Amino acid sequence: MNSLNDLWAKRFAHYMSEVQKYMRFVFTGHIAIVLVFLVGAGGYYYSEWLKTVDTSFPSEILVAVLVGALLMMSKPVTLLREPDQVYLLPLESHMPQFFKSALRYTFFSKLFVSIVPYIVTIPMLKATTTLSTKAIWVIVAVIIVLKWCNVQGEFVYRYANRGANVWLDYIVRFVVSALAVYHFLLEDYVFGILFMAVAFVYVTSLAGKVKGKPVPYEHFVKVEQNRMMSFYRFANYFTDVPHLRGSVRRRAYLNFMYSLAPFKQSNTHLFLVLRTFIRTDDHFYLWLRLTAISALAAAFVDLWWAAAIIAGVLSFATAYQMKIALLTSHSFTMDQLFPVPASMREQAVRTVMYVFMAIQAVVVLLCAVFVNPYFYLLGVIVFVVAFITERMTKTPEQM
Amino acid sequence: MTVLQLTNVTGGYTRKPVIQNLSFDIQKGELVGLIGLNGAGKSTTIKHIIGTLLAQSGDIRLNGVTLQEDMNKYRSSFSYIPETPVLYEELTLREHLELTAMAYGLDEQTLATRQQALLKEFRMEKRLNWFPSHFSKGMRQKVMIMSAFLVNPSLYIIDEPFVGLDPLGIQSLLDQMHARKKEGAAILMSTHILSTAEKYCDRIILLHEGRVRAQGTMKDLRAAFNMPNATLDDLYIAMTKEQDANEQSK
Repeated sequence: MNSLNDLWAKRFAHYMSEVQKYMRFVFTGHIAIVLVFLVGAGGYYYSEWLKTVDTSFPSEILVAVLVGALLMMSKPVTLLREPDQVYLLPLESHMPQFFKSALRYTFFSKLFVSIVPYIVTIPMLKATTTLSTKAIWVIVAVIIVLKWCNVQGEFVYRYANRGANVWLDYIVRFVVSALAVYHFLLEDYVFGILFMAVAFVYVTSLAGKVKGKPVPYEHFVKVEQNRMMSFYRFANYFTDVPHLRGSVRRRAYLNFMYSLAPFKQSNTHLFLVLRTFIRTDDHFYLWLRLTAISALAAAFVDLWWAAAIIAGVLSFATAYQMKIALLTSHSFTMDQLFPVPASMREQAVRTVMYVFMAIQAVVVLLCAVFVNPYFYLLGVIVFVVAFITERMTKTPEQM
Repeated sequence: MTVLQLTNVTGGYTRKPVIQNLSFDIQKGELVGLIGLNGAGKSTTIKHIIGTLLAQSGDIRLNGVTLQEDMNKYRSSFSYIPETPVLYEELTLREHLELTAMAYGLDEQTLATRQQALLKEFRMEKRLNWFPSHFSKGMRQKVMIMSAFLVNPSLYIIDEPFVGLDPLGIQSLLDQMHARKKEGAAILMSTHILSTAEKYCDRIILLHEGRVRAQGTMKDLRAAFNMPNATLDDLYIAMTKEQDANEQSK
């Protein structure tokens, strides 16, 4: 059916323009520089570690688990939309055509995500195992085949069961994929091929169940919506995604923080910004995530200067994103009418940033105490970088 | 005594003005209805008064000052109830009231007294610690109304207040408006519920294509349209027909 192919092509073009629109910000923003630093630091640290790593290091298991997990993540990209539940119903018998294009795209777009991390682990495999170069590249072919099985497998499982208990399917595919890769890493080709065959049988048996079942539009639309939401949430770290509204949680255990803004007129915005920051998931988890990463790095990176760079870079990322998140507003809010000076909001955001960046500094410092001889320096770096970031970066209105 | 005075105000979102040469005033203790068709410029007028849009020409004085002359005095002289409730999803009802009280410089004692009375009037006492996501449209509206009345300013600007409120809520709102009026507050209310407007407003401003078509008491309006005994609905429909006739002749 021609019209459904056209439909896919149209959807795909629209989707690509949407992705490009936001990816532009991802690659040109300040955060891209941060990422380059992180990747650089990570790469350096990795190569240093490879020089010292022991051959007893269990790289086979590590790689099998990593690749298995990446293979498992094969959510179908269907680009279905809510109205399709109504308007595509009459075309139900032609839908396999549409899904074929969808799965082809899913396969190619996700293949990359499984192969690149594997390639990154190749130096480690070389350093810790006796695998031949040929055997290492055979596994790339194995990953391609397994990815195809996983993409088909997740789709038919979701189709046949309308998404119920999808975690079962995840476990099966993870275990089978990881075991297949593991045996190829041991150059045990008999078992490797056996597990690939299991994966194949799993997919074909599920595919049989799909026949004659109506298309679970509702489920696929939901999967698609969630996928787009996570994309928008990701893009939101780099720029403002207008239609993204964060969910809110009370987090009553942080109520004591509100004593920073006692009842008086000059605290109006501080009262508001404190609560906005603590209770909006997007804002709060942003800070929490970056603080946790920074703390982990401080606790495990024993090259003092590498730890210092990571702490500084993450402090910049946290502070900058906090500032953007708390100072941009897209719509009318009542505080725009308040009879208080306009600068009060900026002042409040500054205070909240200093408070939470000081907390990050203390956390990082404490995590580094036993690892890093200059642990106090890390805390100082975190706070000073945050302070400079707050002072030197533009406020969103000026951009 | 004049609370709000608009003199030859022209303005809109872009260079093409939505409202043109608008002039009217509101006196102390007066409830004035702002009536007009969709797109007549009611919301734009209100946005100019609250200061989210700035006039291209003309000026707006509230208690004798413009927004530019004395921002704090201007802003603390009015409170605003928007057509669609604008709440902070991350603040509870109690915190909305607290934030408003802080912003307008109320002391805690005043807040406690006024809050108690308003919560009782609008039957929201049990919802103090709720977040807006658990509120219905009507309850959200009530949060806006309570925040506005908490401030006790000299001018209330109320945009389409009755949609979404239950009958008890409407009655409470009308009672509150009446009480504040008696204390000397001025109220500007925009609405499509004409029977209510006719019954409660002291004066009515009929907006048409961004200009004041007619203003005054019901008696004045009937005279202006030359329709004795007409209700506000009749006058409104007459204005609609006038518009249709104009459009067809274009």
